[in-house]
Amino acid sequence: MIEKIKDLSIGNVFALAFGATALSAVFLNLTNYEVPGGLIWALAFELFFGLGIYAYQNNSIIYCLKRIGEALVTLFVIATATFILLRVMPGGPFDADKALPPQIKANIEKKYGFDKPLSVQYINYIKGVVTLDFGESYKYIGRSVGDIISESFPASFTLGIYAFLLSFLIGVPLGLFAAARHNTFWDNFAMTVSISGVALPNFLFGALLILIFSIKLNILPPAMWETPAHYILPVITLGIRPAAFIARLTRSTVLDVIGSDFIRTAKAKGLSQGAVMYKHVLKNSLIPVLTYSGPLLAGILSGSFVIEMLFAVPGIGKHLIQGVTNRDYPLILGLTLLYSVLLVFSNLIVDLLYSFFDPRIRLA
Amino acid sequence: MRFLFLLFICIFSLSFQTGCKKKNSKGDYGLALNDTLRVRIATEPPSLDMQKMSDNTSSYIAENIMDGLVVFDFKSAEVGLAPALATEWKSSNQAKNWEFKIREGVKWSDGQPFEPQHVVDGWERLLNPNTASNYSYFLYNIKNAKAYNEGKLKDFSQVGVKVEGNLIKVELDGAMPFPFLLTHQSTFPVRKDIISKFGDKWTEPGNIVTLGEYNLKKWEHDRALVVERNPLYWGKPSKTKNVIFYIIQEDQTAINLFDAGKIDFLRTLPSKELSHLRKRPEFVSYPYLSITYYGFNTKRAPTDNLLVRKALVHAIDRTKITTMLQGGQRPLSGWAPYGMFGHNPNVGLAFDPVRAKKYFQEAGYGESNPFPKMEISYNTNEDNKRIAENIQAQLRENLGIQAEIKNEEWKVYLETLKVNPSHFFRMGWVGDYPDPHNFFDIMLSYADNNHTGWENLEYDKLIEQAVTFVEDKAKRLEMYNKAHKILVEEDVPVFPIFTAVAHNLVSPRVVGMPKNVMFIFPLKNVSLQ
Amino acid sequence: MSQLPNQTASKSLWADSVLRLKKNKGALVSFYFVSLVCLIAVFAEVLSPYPFHKQHIDHLLESSSSKFWLGTDSLGRDVFSRIIYGARMSMAIGIFTAIISMVIGTIYGGISGWVGGRVDSIMMRAVDILISIPSLVLLILVKVVFDSIAFFENPELRALTGMLLALSVVGWVTLARVVRGQVLQVKELTYIEAARALGSPSWKILFKHVFPNILGPIVVLLTFQIPSNILIESFLSFIGLGLQPPYSSWGVLASDGWRSMRSYPHLILYPSMALGFTMLAFNLFGDGLRDAFDPKLKGKS
Repeated sequence: MIEKIKDLSIGNVFALAFGATALSAVFLNLTNYEVPGGLIWALAFELFFGLGIYAYQNNSIIYCLKRIGEALVTLFVIATATFILLRVMPGGPFDADKALPPQIKANIEKKYGFDKPLSVQYINYIKGVVTLDFGESYKYIGRSVGDIISESFPASFTLGIYAFLLSFLIGVPLGLFAAARHNTFWDNFAMTVSISGVALPNFLFGALLILIFSIKLNILPPAMWETPAHYILPVITLGIRPAAFIARLTRSTVLDVIGSDFIRTAKAKGLSQGAVMYKHVLKNSLIPVLTYSGPLLAGILSGSFVIEMLFAVPGIGKHLIQGVTNRDYPLILGLTLLYSVLLVFSNLIVDLLYSFFDPRIRLA
Repeated sequence: MRFLFLLFICIFSLSFQTGCKKKNSKGDYGLALNDTLRVRIATEPPSLDMQKMSDNTSSYIAENIMDGLVVFDFKSAEVGLAPALATEWKSSNQAKNWEFKIREGVKWSDGQPFEPQHVVDGWERLLNPNTASNYSYFLYNIKNAKAYNEGKLKDFSQVGVKVEGNLIKVELDGAMPFPFLLTHQSTFPVRKDIISKFGDKWTEPGNIVTLGEYNLKKWEHDRALVVERNPLYWGKPSKTKNVIFYIIQEDQTAINLFDAGKIDFLRTLPSKELSHLRKRPEFVSYPYLSITYYGFNTKRAPTDNLLVRKALVHAIDRTKITTMLQGGQRPLSGWAPYGMFGHNPNVGLAFDPVRAKKYFQEAGYGESNPFPKMEISYNTNEDNKRIAENIQAQLRENLGIQAEIKNEEWKVYLETLKVNPSHFFRMGWVGDYPDPHNFFDIMLSYADNNHTGWENLEYDKLIEQAVTFVEDKAKRLEMYNKAHKILVEEDVPVFPIFTAVAHNLVSPRVVGMPKNVMFIFPLKNVSLQ
Repeated sequence: MSQLPNQTASKSLWADSVLRLKKNKGALVSFYFVSLVCLIAVFAEVLSPYPFHKQHIDHLLESSSSKFWLGTDSLGRDVFSRIIYGARMSMAIGIFTAIISMVIGTIYGGISGWVGGRVDSIMMRAVDILISIPSLVLLILVKVVFDSIAFFENPELRALTGMLLALSVVGWVTLARVVRGQVLQVKELTYIEAARALGSPSWKILFKHVFPNILGPIVVLLTFQIPSNILIESFLSFIGLGLQPPYSSWGVLASDGWRSMRSYPHLILYPSMALGFTMLAFNLFGDGLRDAFDPKLKGKS
């Protein structure tokens, strides 16, 4: 046993440690303990260094740096585009329900620097972006955008991670199941079920779940974010759509791979059905699923407005929408950039994972 | 070596797990249910800073953790005032000078004694241009206050407010029912030492210092606020020890939680469910001081024509709208809302399709001269949409007008109102204080809230004068009746529709939940069974 | 000439695909269902018993009866008629947006893939940037900005513009990426290289050889874009950024119904059913189409 562990590369050590830490975080969370902040930092640390070492071993450090460099340019363009879009949008942040005397409005605009020329505002704003200080929310007085994100991100994160896991745990096996029984009743059945999952908008599906499990059966809480029992309905509502998509994606790629030559060779060699499925087919068909999971992870982590609203989850999704209705420029900007960073990083991780699953892919 | 490394990392990650806390597994922050009231708020309060808050969720919390010089007294038919931080007050010089005697022995939640200077500090802060408060104009009637707020005057000692012993003396530019303003949270006292110590974060629990019946104990942003009985409170201690304000945005979700017994009180209900909810024993409803109205753009053809405006007003049946809404709203033909001094049920133009057609023809419209394109607009909202669609249908039926409906998102709508509103646009007003002046002054020719473009100097003069007759109610009423006639019978720049009604769900275990025309909810006298 | 073998190949490919599609019963039934919905949308005036905006003030919120088959809403309007007209709006949104996205996406992706090199990488960077903005923010911003500008006199069109533009801005990116990928693949095929060597102009090759070859994946993607557009529209209605009244789509009807779910289940039930079954049909049809077009699966069924 110990001999085997000794063989592990440092990269794998990090991967294992990351898995262990993540599992313990999930365990703590589900047994209703507060996940300590240190654990989150440990996760981030392990992820960062693990990826770094992995990239180093694969000689893809330069590739990663290049990607990050490109990402910075992208972020800058997004910051500028958002700035312009927000200023073009009719309606200002300080129009109140009851019209304000011009002097009072002038005071408020002065406080937030709206009296300066647009170019100066833009420069100040870019300065803020560079120093990661997005300023104070216009709506929530005295709360900085950083405060709002750090206070509401955890709930969205928890909800998102579980939904992400759920969608994989349901989607991949269902897709494999359907592919293995291609063109049979079970295949059609599994696919129709998974399509039904995407047939209704989130809010109707969530409402249906609440109606059945909370109001009629009274076995699950209808809303709020307290114990793991509260997680169940929102996680299902959020996870069902990606799960259905992953199931269909897995099915079609598995069918593709089964048809390819090397699988026929493997079959001809006399490998058992299970061995072929697991060793060759699964590993090779996960690549499109991985491609999809990058944007999925970013989207799912940055919160879903509908689900957070339906289940009163104190997450980040509603800030995105209310930020726009309130014209809370700093908040919209902070959240947009947060999403972009999440997207860039999850795509980078996915790309690194490609070369793990398929060593033929070289990153350069 | 690698094995050691793995071991190190595992220990490193596990070390973070020691000393982790159990979450509040029982819910309700581990508070005893029989001494904890749980109410719903629909949004995160944008601020608990008394001078900076400008929304009704924040003030819901504020009125429970703070006190002003006076409070509303709802015992009499018309809303009056009762002493709070001021024990008595009187006016002199025809209501131009006011004097407040400050209660002694009041303590802030940190044990410091309350002083009259704290009130003046609050007012100074409200008027200070750097505070950038939405409500600075509340005190504009104080001598020199406006100049101070505009930055023209730097020295606050020249503003007409003075502390003498335990008296606060106020000098106004013109007479007005000044004490009413002091029920508003923007005029509440503050502790400058606390604010300068913590900056914008002074409203967080642990920093904030208040003197109301409850203290802010916990504020989990986007989730809940918890307040607890203030042991140092000057008055009778609150009947219930704890109150949790749960932040639940969606009405349907809130009702689900109410049904599941997680929430005791909902102060707003979804309008579309009312006909169903009103059959429940927990349902409570009562009118509050507000008006919902439609304004005409009097600068745009064809609504610049008085005859057209009269025709349109006569062609719409208010009761059809209130019936459709099924919320028990009180149809309103005048401008002062139901339940307030100055309310007059007999003023205004009634529904009369025959007369409507007559005016319409007099204005020159008919078969030969079809009515030009007309726009009805509202800000995006479920009820507003139904009202607009109903008005559109009534105009089609009674005058054959094909009006077009336009809805805009709130902030866009506000901007359009300032620039060039639609011919017929929805607006509403909720009273800041229970005085007709608060309603009539929005239609002054120079008022920022008058989006109709309508100007009538006689009306302006009447309103400006009426407010000075603080002591002569009969005279004041007469002037408001005159103003009413001009506004809703002669010039008709506006079409008042109804006084809104509050709809609550109150759990049977809650006793003494306030119901009042100001739609405020001081919770200190609420007890639990 | 190189055209001949290609054309016959593509023709037989199409014929083959259609044949395979016909064998897939689920997809076929779905296709008929979708066609039926489209017909309903086109002939809404003829089919609905009442005009969609007609308010029957004496019949507020009634449930099903012989006069109002699916009941009435809070303004006394016939739900059945509104669902029929809703089909028109929902389908218009779904289909027009998909077409707009397709046109933009195909042109953009086609140019990017065909020209290649520096142009390609710049164009794809722009796409990357657009993708990195949360689509929700983009949707709302575009919708709010364009709702405040009136392009058309026709009220029905005006009600639709903001929605169409918002959905297209978000939608074309995926198509552009797919088209580019396909063009890159097709570009390397021998007969296209031959055509290029023969000196045919680029546009000719693109239209005669490249597009017919990549039409399959595009059509498949299109059938998935339509339902996803309809869903996004319902989501926007839910957050209060739906169509301008009195027009309503299924999304508007369902989210309105959701707000009175406890008291009047009929207001949520029927629009949701219309929405759900149409989604199901589109997806099943799309799946069938994809299986039919995918040459790799040929001969397996």
